[in-house]
Amino acid sequence: MDQEKKQKALKILSDHRDSKLLTQLSSCVHCGLCAESCHYYLAFREDKYIPARKVELVTSIWRRYNTFAGKHFPGLMGAHELDDLMAEELTDQLFGACSLCNRCVPHCSIGVDIAYLVRTGRAMLSEMGMVPATLQATVNAALETGNNMAIPEDEFTDTIEWMEEELTDEFGDNGPFIPLNQPGKHVLYTLNPREPKFFPLSIAAMARIFYAAGESWTLSTRMYDVTNYAFFSCNREDAAIIAQRLVDEVKAMGAARCVLAECGHGSRAFRWEAPNYLGQPFPFETLTNVELMLEYLEQGRIKVDPSKNPGVFTLHDPCNLVRSGGIIEPQRKILKASVGQFVEMTPNRADNYCCGGGGGQLAMSEYNERRMKIAEIKADQIRKTGASVVVTPCHNCVDQLMQINAWYKLNVQVKTLAEVVSDALIFD
Amino acid sequence: MVKMEIDGRVFEVDGDGFLTDPSVWNDEVATLFARYDGITEMNEHHWAVVRIIRQNFEEKGMAPMVRVICKETGLKLKEIYELFPLGPARGACRVAGLPKPDGCV
Repeated sequence: MDQEKKQKALKILSDHRDSKLLTQLSSCVHCGLCAESCHYYLAFREDKYIPARKVELVTSIWRRYNTFAGKHFPGLMGAHELDDLMAEELTDQLFGACSLCNRCVPHCSIGVDIAYLVRTGRAMLSEMGMVPATLQATVNAALETGNNMAIPEDEFTDTIEWMEEELTDEFGDNGPFIPLNQPGKHVLYTLNPREPKFFPLSIAAMARIFYAAGESWTLSTRMYDVTNYAFFSCNREDAAIIAQRLVDEVKAMGAARCVLAECGHGSRAFRWEAPNYLGQPFPFETLTNVELMLEYLEQGRIKVDPSKNPGVFTLHDPCNLVRSGGIIEPQRKILKASVGQFVEMTPNRADNYCCGGGGGQLAMSEYNERRMKIAEIKADQIRKTGASVVVTPCHNCVDQLMQINAWYKLNVQVKTLAEVVSDALIFD
Repeated sequence: MVKMEIDGRVFEVDGDGFLTDPSVWNDEVATLFARYDGITEMNEHHWAVVRIIRQNFEEKGMAPMVRVICKETGLKLKEIYELFPLGPARGACRVAGLPKPDGCV
């Protein structure tokens, strides 16, 4: 093992500027209550998948190098060297067997922030250059090209113009319906790169909503990417670079509000984590388009007709937005107003199960088999609702749900919230 | 690396079932991969989509925007999604023998 990299990894565990790390590292009482909360443990029923076991990997290394007893009596203290074998196990369990969904945290008897410790372990692996290749490739694409799918700017603009034409066909020459690079607008909107690359109808859907609301808004062709995969690789420097770009773009465009597209981790990484990465609050307001759509409805800026969305709809709660972000009721209020019949999954809200694609799992081909196996819980949840449409305000969840749909033969449609609202819009 | 067997043929693929070596791809591979996804017969529209994806990959080293697929094939977006129920990335790009695109797909 490269000693220099090892020392960099161990330094993360010795960083006590924030007392949170020290507290979390020494708090687990091994009660095992977290086991039944974890979809990996429920799917495989093997001890290694218990969240406390994943935490123990990290804390055992911490004890070995940071406590008197661990340094001198490692065998007695369950303290472990950070060696090649340990690094491999860390990679397999922290990257390959955790979707950072946080469901174990509220189920912990003493409130250990288990996912935070998993992220700490991932950060150590990132220092050692051991982030799974597929996940690192997505981070690198963002760092090198400005968006995580490496879309060239002219191809992005071409796609937006295509959607602009579709909207012009619908509404006449009242555009631009998707304003590009216009400074001084109230809202700078963002996108998940999979929208322009493969699924642009959600861009048109949001543009219809903005048009109906009479919003002053723009997209930037330079920086529109709402994602931050360095939140998953847990490399704080990379995460700060990516977040800083969006902060700079909102400032350069002079927008009062930065509105985040339907992206669970992107919302969390930018709105709640980035001020910490960057060490300062943002000089503008940041909100998700979920909150914005509810604001439009409540202020009467848009009107919807639920009969335009017939059938039974259910809702999947993205972990980062709901359990971690606390945005729980807006999407429900919006759906109840916009669809014929809405049924909840069980469990739901902050106790909902992850789709299985979170924490970077969707990007990591290395662990595909596990990802589809843990998704059986979600498939069962969906099946029991009897719904024909599953709505979720997260593009990452959408893709995982599309795969679950095919894999488990659910025969449902998967939609973003903006697509559902757009379908229900009434224009006076 | 994973080995995937379809109709007695064995392919080296990544964990998501994308070909490890895009150069071993040919029409027969496309047909077999499509069948694995439940597309029992590749019609002319399936082929048109696969050909343009393949051409873009060979020229630019990446999957095309769905915009390019629609423009070059004359198909509507809705039709693309119906032809490949797993979508342009996990559906069509996989059948076209590309590596898995990065990002939320």
